[in-house]
Amino acid sequence: MAVRVNAENFNDEVLGAQGIVLADFYSDSCVPCKRMSPVLAELEETYPDTLKLVKININFDGELAEKYEVQAAPTLIFFKDGEEKARLRGAVKKAEIFEEFEKL
Amino acid sequence: MYDIVIIGSGPAGLSAAVYASRAQFSAVVAEKDYMGAGQIAASEQVDNYLGLPEINGYELGEKFREHAVSLGTKFFEGEVSGIIKNAESYTVSFKDGSTMESRCIIYAAGTSYRRLEIPGGELLGVSYCATCDGAFYKGKTAAVVGGGDTALGDALYLSKIAEKVYLIHRRDTFRANKALQELVKKTSNIEVILNAVPTKVIGEKRVEGLEISVSGETSSLAVNGIFVAIGSVPNTGILDGICSLDKNGYIIADEDGITSADGLFAAGDVRTKALRQVVTAVSDGANCVLSAENYIRNNNW
Repeated sequence: MAVRVNAENFNDEVLGAQGIVLADFYSDSCVPCKRMSPVLAELEETYPDTLKLVKININFDGELAEKYEVQAAPTLIFFKDGEEKARLRGAVKKAEIFEEFEKL
Repeated sequence: MYDIVIIGSGPAGLSAAVYASRAQFSAVVAEKDYMGAGQIAASEQVDNYLGLPEINGYELGEKFREHAVSLGTKFFEGEVSGIIKNAESYTVSFKDGSTMESRCIIYAAGTSYRRLEIPGGELLGVSYCATCDGAFYKGKTAAVVGGGDTALGDALYLSKIAEKVYLIHRRDTFRANKALQELVKKTSNIEVILNAVPTKVIGEKRVEGLEISVSGETSSLAVNGIFVAIGSVPNTGILDGICSLDKNGYIIADEDGITSADGLFAAGDVRTKALRQVVTAVSDGANCVLSAENYIRNNNW
């Protein structure tokens, strides 16, 4: 299950985590974000041991969005051992997300 | 070999799928997005679809899809890269390299947003989806470009989040419906600028301002984000040389969906028509299946 993170626990949950963390910056009213949700769940289920999925609601955590220069929802950022490795902006295809992850 | 390949999974394509399933055709819906439901999904509220007042566009789209799924509709996720007309069939090829053979095609690929093609139009902060990206402008200033229902709806939506919203339109009157115009007038943090053409997005990496030309005079507005709602363009690029298009790229077809290409039928927003709404798209989908049925029968297939 994806964890909701905010400015307070972002450091622990994302930057301090070992391995790959996928941070999904989303908005409640955003339809492409809703569509992306089952795809991300599938990715998480396919790689339960190697991927951690976290979600940042930009309606509440605008400062995190600002810090990471996220200005489009959804934006997916892949972190590896706390470092940003890849970023996908806007609605993307399932295959692209899987491919991006598998490259890491 | 399919009887019908339906290209597009918006209201027109899904309606065609329902009719095709019930008529027991071998059919498949090819869609470029995973679990699509077309542009209607992005509408905050749909108030003119009979029997379902005040429904959210996303929910309406989901209902359409569930209906098609419940009748056994097959879906394929892939973006069409080309269509070839053979003697008695069509070959549809996809970007992933796969192909499909079909007697008929129901083309219901819809339209895409018209892009803001000015310098800086690709900067971070230029958006085509207010409900997606509006939240980034809490307490900030945003500009909306356009004068139709979408533009005014976006301006109203953003006025609840942003501190100030500029609504920039190139004509002296709005095309949007009167109810929306009244609401905009009553909203104190929306400033309307008419006869204004955006000429340049100012900023290095992200939007810092918008340069506009008002009746020939250039000025600039300090804005953090720009929302573009200047109409749409039909997704018909791959049909060049296959069937007749009008000067704006829409497929020339009447209510029966029959195009200049035998066995290729047009449904929904891609077709030349007076009213592009869910209700007309849904009706097109049904009509196209009937036309496909007649076409298949007349050829004794």
